Amino acid sequence: MRKTLAMLLAGGKGTRLNILARLRAKPAVPFGGIYRIIDFTLSNVMHSGLTRVGILTQYKPLSLMEHIGNGQAWDLVGRTREAKILPPSTGEKDSDWYKGTADAIAQNMDYIKGHKPERVLILSGDHIYKMDYSLMVKYHKDKGADLTIAMMEVPIKDAHQFGIAITDSNDRIVDWEEKPKEPKSNLASMGIYVFNSEALYKYLGPERCGNDFGKEIIAKMINEAKVYAYRFKGYWRDVGTLQSYWDANMDLLDPNSGIELEKWCVRTNMDVGRIGDRAPARILKGAKVVDSIISPGCVIEGEVTNCIISPGVIVKKGALLHGSVIMHDVVIGENATIDNTIIDKDVVIGNNCLIGHGSSTVPNERFPSHLSTGLTIIGKGSVIPEGTKIGRNVIMYPMVKANKVPKEVPAGATIESELGLF
Amino acid sequence: MRKTLGIILAGGRVDELSVITLYRPKSAVPFAGMYRVIDFAMSNLMRSGINKVGILSQYRPASLINHIGAGASWDMLGTGRGARILPPYKGDKASDWYKGTADAVYQNLEFIREDRPERVLIISGDHIYNMDYSPMIEYHIEKGADVTLAFVKQELVGKGPCKFGVGEIDNEDGDKGGRLIGYEEKPAEPKSNWASMTVFVFDTTYLISKLEENARLGEGYEFGRNIFPRIIGKDRVYAYKFYGYWGYTRTIDDFYKTNMDTLGNQPKIDLESWQVRTNMEHRRINERTPAKFLQGSDVEDALVSRGCCIQGEVKRSILSPGVIVEKGAVVRDSIIMHDCTICQNAMIENCILDTDVVVGANSYLGAGEEKMPNREIPNLLHSGITLIGRNTRIPPNTKIGKNCLIYPNLSEHDFPSSKIKSGEVVKR
Repeated sequence: MRKTLAMLLAGGKGTRLNILARLRAKPAVPFGGIYRIIDFTLSNVMHSGLTRVGILTQYKPLSLMEHIGNGQAWDLVGRTREAKILPPSTGEKDSDWYKGTADAIAQNMDYIKGHKPERVLILSGDHIYKMDYSLMVKYHKDKGADLTIAMMEVPIKDAHQFGIAITDSNDRIVDWEEKPKEPKSNLASMGIYVFNSEALYKYLGPERCGNDFGKEIIAKMINEAKVYAYRFKGYWRDVGTLQSYWDANMDLLDPNSGIELEKWCVRTNMDVGRIGDRAPARILKGAKVVDSIISPGCVIEGEVTNCIISPGVIVKKGALLHGSVIMHDVVIGENATIDNTIIDKDVVIGNNCLIGHGSSTVPNERFPSHLSTGLTIIGKGSVIPEGTKIGRNVIMYPMVKANKVPKEVPAGATIESELGLF
Repeated sequence: MRKTLGIILAGGRVDELSVITLYRPKSAVPFAGMYRVIDFAMSNLMRSGINKVGILSQYRPASLINHIGAGASWDMLGTGRGARILPPYKGDKASDWYKGTADAVYQNLEFIREDRPERVLIISGDHIYNMDYSPMIEYHIEKGADVTLAFVKQELVGKGPCKFGVGEIDNEDGDKGGRLIGYEEKPAEPKSNWASMTVFVFDTTYLISKLEENARLGEGYEFGRNIFPRIIGKDRVYAYKFYGYWGYTRTIDDFYKTNMDTLGNQPKIDLESWQVRTNMEHRRINERTPAKFLQGSDVEDALVSRGCCIQGEVKRSILSPGVIVEKGAVVRDSIIMHDCTICQNAMIENCILDTDVVVGANSYLGAGEEKMPNREIPNLLHSGITLIGRNTRIPPNTKIGKNCLIYPNLSEHDFPSSKIKSGEVVKR
């Protein structure tokens, strides 16, 4: 694996994650209590024996860069090991924001060539899964392929969201459809590619036919080169929407979901957000915790069912939490009730609040395509005053001050903050 | 030149903790879930800005060496910083096992000399407290003292023989401290309520001269027993009064009680606000998931570490990383260390389980009412606690009474019967 260089596309904007991905890139969105989405890919890199990874950032990279640091959390520090952040740069020729996945890789060709790799493994930082990339690289070598694409079978109704391959009996890809309206197969691309370096230099060189792998590069290559599908079986989720993000978090609580955090040995950066030196969780007298994940530094005195709780969350006496994802250092006041809600970091919920109540039939009026399934989203650092009632499908922007929150927020409403619309 | 160099006395095997210290020095014993006892001293040093420390250890230091690593966990890695384990060594002259606390420091004078600090702060690695050493060091400087000792108030007078060093302090600076006018090590009848915390600030030149003198005299090798009584009334020996929580882990009862001080709604040991740091690489804490509470979990008044998975009842207990409490199992008033598994419907009351213990299904530990002291260590195991050594597998359907001592590394066939009476010992 030393001859394979990994390039991780971590620039994703995560538009459909709405306010969760407004202040941070999608790969940096917290997940599963102590993790961030990108930890899954970086841990896969580590456990696959890869030693060098270039990480391409673009959108709001600050918290992502802080999180990756020098890569030490994933054992990527050393003479022949590195995790290198590659932000867009201006140069004599290449001088633009990344115009697409293939363009991002092409703009960093100097970095790639400098490592003289035999193969380049291209990854994205947007998915929750466990994969040993060395098996895929071996498959790629065995097939003598120019390009190998990791693919998995998805329900045919979801196939239109993906790049879809049609393969021959040897799993060589003979046809490709990018997000087809009427898919001819259910074999979906996971956005993981192994390129032979020569093929990469050729198809991503100055004469390249497009800026995206899915739209142009693969389509061209299947006619001219050997492109194979590598079939992956197992848990794999794109957590690109609010509902799929919530679902994947809840999968952590389902023993049959296929996510096995213990076995996956997912690592995260303990120093950012003070995860490392937080004390074990304290469950106080009178508390009830069932079917939940509780991170270090939490103090729980209320009732928590079906929740994912990040470090440092305080749940006071009489509070009832159900079916919610609560991020770092949130304080839930006494006798507050929270249902089906995602609460971003540093939010303060006053006593006796009712968050996520009533009917879920009204979609969010401003973002109906992002939020219509009944979740309520509270943005980072907002303060909800005592006794507030908030309905379902509500979006509360980050940093909303207490005096800007109405006593009652109806279902489907969006409350802006002084930061304005993003 | 460095201002203050730290020295931690982490050496001794302490028999009083029985099988818990069979394989590790006391300072490496797990405490409060994910910590080790020495983390408290190390974190105090870190927060006091003392970033170079020598750790004197001779008893089975492997686990301690593992835990301290390069000191990075306490921000002691870098130029001029460092945490160095100083085991005994053979040399031309100095070539022996440490004979006592003063001898241990004496044998490592080279470590102190090469660093040329103005002062040396010598502390024990065995105590649980949250102390900023800088006000004490300031006091030491202000007084132009040769040595300053920290004391904490305990109820000692009229309580009979005492296990601490006890100081008599004059009224020079009232609540802050004063001249130390008397000192007795473990007196039968303490003359004051001020117990020595084993926190000493020494002027470096003075320390070296006193240690050399003590070695020359060869009468004894302890700071408390030999050096302090000799210098009081002669040199500038001061006492600094500390008013916070001070916990000790000397006996099994102390260890249990001090652990339990991390529980409750207003815990005496507030780990969060103390900002205690530990080495997250040790026993892979950093790869562990957050604690999981599954269907059937019933947890109250408990400390639950990462990697735990709970499907049973846990009350008034402390769980280290990776503890599994299966369906129907009950854990009450107990300390369960790393990676123990409590199988289905097992019950554990008033026990200390060292790491990697497996308790078979339907077993009952700490059973019964009778309080027969332990047969082998009656002085140490008599308050009802049952102690299980590390890596032992208790067979299913076993009933073990109170004050029992179960040795480490036992397998299921090492148990003579499925009923172990109170006060019994199981060993190979």
